[in-house]
Amino acid sequence: MLSVHSERLQNWAADWARRRQGDDGHAVTLKRRRVYILPTRYGITYAAVLIAMLLGSLNYGANLGYAMTFLLAGLGIVLMHHCHNNLLGITVRIGSAEPVFAGEDARFRLFLLNDAPVPRLDIQTECGDAADGPVDIPAGSSAAIGLHVPTSRRGWTELERFSIATRYPGGLFRAWTWIHMEARCLVYPVPAPPGRPFPPGAADFGTHASAALAEDDFVGLRDAAASDPPRRIAWKAYARSDQLLVKEFAGGAEKPCLFRYEDLPGLDTEARLSQLTRWCIDAAESGRSFGIELPDQKIPLGQGDRHLHRCLRALALFTLPQ
Amino acid sequence: MSSLAQHTTGASRLFWTAGIVLGASLPHWTRLPIWITVLLIACVSWRFAIRLLRWPAPGKWILRLMTLTAFAGVWLQFNTINGLVPGTGLLVVMVALKFLESGNQRDHMILTVIAYFLVFASLLDGGSMFGAAYLIAFAWITTLGLIQVGRQGTLLPGRVSGRLAGKLILQSLPFMLVLFVVFPRMSGPLWSSPFNGGSALTGLSSQMSPGDITDLGLSDEIAFRVDFASEAPEPSDFYWRGPVLSDFDGRTWSWRQTRPRGDNSQQPEFIGQRSDYTITVDVESRGWLFALDMPQNWSPAESRRRIWMTEDYQLYVPADPPPGLTVRYSVTSYSDYRAREQLRPDQLERFTALELAERNPRTRALIERLQADAPDPLTLVERILNYFVAEEFYYTFAPPALGEHTADEFLFDTREGFCGHFASAFAIMMRMAGIPARVVTGYLGAEYNPWGDYYIVRQANAHAWTEIWIEEYGWIRFDPVATVAPDRVLLGSNRSARLPVESFTQRLGNSGFLRQLSLGWDALHKYWTDWVIGYSPALQRDLLEKLGLEQISRQALLLITILTTGLLMLALTFYLSLSMRRWHTSTDAASKSFGQFVRKLERCAVEPQKQGETPSAYAARAATAIPDSRDRIIAITKAYLAARYEPDRGGQALDGLIELVRNFNPRYVRASR
Repeated sequence: MLSVHSERLQNWAADWARRRQGDDGHAVTLKRRRVYILPTRYGITYAAVLIAMLLGSLNYGANLGYAMTFLLAGLGIVLMHHCHNNLLGITVRIGSAEPVFAGEDARFRLFLLNDAPVPRLDIQTECGDAADGPVDIPAGSSAAIGLHVPTSRRGWTELERFSIATRYPGGLFRAWTWIHMEARCLVYPVPAPPGRPFPPGAADFGTHASAALAEDDFVGLRDAAASDPPRRIAWKAYARSDQLLVKEFAGGAEKPCLFRYEDLPGLDTEARLSQLTRWCIDAAESGRSFGIELPDQKIPLGQGDRHLHRCLRALALFTLPQ
Repeated sequence: MSSLAQHTTGASRLFWTAGIVLGASLPHWTRLPIWITVLLIACVSWRFAIRLLRWPAPGKWILRLMTLTAFAGVWLQFNTINGLVPGTGLLVVMVALKFLESGNQRDHMILTVIAYFLVFASLLDGGSMFGAAYLIAFAWITTLGLIQVGRQGTLLPGRVSGRLAGKLILQSLPFMLVLFVVFPRMSGPLWSSPFNGGSALTGLSSQMSPGDITDLGLSDEIAFRVDFASEAPEPSDFYWRGPVLSDFDGRTWSWRQTRPRGDNSQQPEFIGQRSDYTITVDVESRGWLFALDMPQNWSPAESRRRIWMTEDYQLYVPADPPPGLTVRYSVTSYSDYRAREQLRPDQLERFTALELAERNPRTRALIERLQADAPDPLTLVERILNYFVAEEFYYTFAPPALGEHTADEFLFDTREGFCGHFASAFAIMMRMAGIPARVVTGYLGAEYNPWGDYYIVRQANAHAWTEIWIEEYGWIRFDPVATVAPDRVLLGSNRSARLPVESFTQRLGNSGFLRQLSLGWDALHKYWTDWVIGYSPALQRDLLEKLGLEQISRQALLLITILTTGLLMLALTFYLSLSMRRWHTSTDAASKSFGQFVRKLERCAVEPQKQGETPSAYAARAATAIPDSRDRIIAITKAYLAARYEPDRGGQALDGLIELVRNFNPRYVRASR
């Protein structure tokens, strides 16, 4: 109940901050008016101890007690300023995020530049419940930090809002700023569980019978060429002979497949896309040529990582805005 | 963070917390029962054994059992948890058990915050300057620990965190000073808690037997200190009135607690020179206070204290003051007075009582001779004083012991003694003549301390004189010692002689370096006692009045507190932003030099620094572009970073940088394939 309220309050405050400070583009330098600060629960404990000290001093009429109470009150204020200052003037730039499969966390990279002559310690990023860091940024230097954003659906995941926070020094306060940057991460459909064989229609493009047997018929080794995928290099042989050789199979590598949206009747759109994703991944793993055919788009046969990502991108954005 | 780093961070955090907890509880060890200290040390050791030697950790039930037993132990020991020592004991027990089960950062944070409270608790019943030094030192150490324990990454090097903690404490000091002065003070305890015992301090004695050689506190120990608001009186008027000894058993004069003077009792008539002054005294167990003979008005600095006057005109604080209590009070006195009061029959009897009438036959014979023509009392006094002058009396600190007839032996045989002998003999003679008389003890004289413009009264100033009652005049002071000529002083063994009256007042003309040093230290101590330990609501009011804030309400004071704190926060903000920027301006030269370096490289087709590119990244890029100059490019970049970002090396590194850039001539190599 309480957490629901506090989350609502936080969202309200963050929205207010966004209206106040506007959106941030690709890089932003943290100015004083957008860095907020509140005591942590240790800060609240500290304050409670201070109140107990004040009452104790009053009761015993002890002036050294007062002195200590006031020294610690001053220390609290000073720590608050130092904590706030720990974020001020940092320039935050957002980097790209590698595509991920739905359900995984999108991992944005942030670059934090500290132009000041003092180091910034214990800087964290927070997005929802996920936190990254802490990192230290030396004086006049920069540091990279990740930013984990949970994803649920394929397509573009926009980086909505994240915060950069610090509890340093002392851990009594948490200073933070809300940042709204234009950044997005491409999310591929969740791959369907493995097991479903390639559609029979795919074999039409090949010369041999079954893709499932692709790597069963080992025929021998040949010298490696630059274009060979690493997984086909015979590492054991390399260890023996110091010579890079590639395993050759009677079946599959060159047996191309075309995966078609229509090949999966009886499934809904998302399930079809998931299955196509799985096939693409498997086909790329086994090193064969493959292509996909969607109702509105066709990607011809191809090989390699770039081709795989092109296919997955098409699947991710199917019927969604580019 | 790797698991190894996590491991070492956890261990160091444990180390830090242990240091803080043990250090903060150290001052309590002597006061707490030994088993609590043993428990603390055992728990800390056990926790380390768990961490380092892989000992088993206590199970949940064992911990609960230990907690219950320890709490019961505290209760059985003190029968209460109210009060300073029981409360601290409970706190230390809780800290010990918490430390034993401490695991994560949260536990360590809580322990650190409690450590602050333990430091605080050790300051509640003390007030020395060493206490303040301890406060600052331990606030620093605990803050150092707080930084380390609150740190999320790997712990900072000790030097860095130590310097940061020092900086934080230094920046907190202005807040402490301002809050200490202006924060609205209240008087009176919120709840009463028993003070915990101690030994009584020695001062004047409540008995005086001149026949036995008593050491009437003739040490250099300070009795009290006096600030005169008005001009100080004549040295011969420095009679500090203390306990009155009126019960005489034939040999010993004793003090008795008399009732306080009622509001309707007759005021003396005050004549002579008026003086206003403030006395700071550590009262001993009977609560005796002192004032110049004769006080007219008095008021304590702390309004919650009450100061009373007895029927014998002695000031005191009632109700068993705690040992070591410092009382500060202001008094108005007059150097002369007529205390005309009627004695009640019981008083009349007490002040003329002479036990064992057969004692001192020779003195009785002398009085009868002097009284032969039935003179009025004042004439009799004059005759007796003349007797002291005419005969060869000596003032000494090492008088011979006296037998049964103390007055006889002193007056006719030994004729050597200190103030007590003279006062006692004089009072006995008066009583023999039927005149009410009593011995008044206190101090005579004072030492002026030019370092702090105040007077010091020491135990060595202790003195005794006589008061007699004459119906038309009331009580009159007579000091027979003052009658003995100063040149008739015998020096006692090893004691610096104190001459009567004028000589009791030292004016520091002939004092050496060590004396000056000790007076300087005493002045410092007095400022400390007056302004820090003795800072009270009344003193706060006085101080604010001096600052022009008169008749200020508590609410207004609170507002002022908030405002001044706000101003200090602004100043701190300004200072911090200045410190973030300071080296930028002072290292303009470094930036300029680096700019020349960048332009030289630009001529060799190295693209200038991009926005957001660090100098190091830029240097790496340039070094790749011109591999021949790689070493020098890296050296220049290092020098630049040092000159700009390392405060200690600013000047030196800057010179090196300028020199390097001047001699830097990269060869332009056309990119070729």
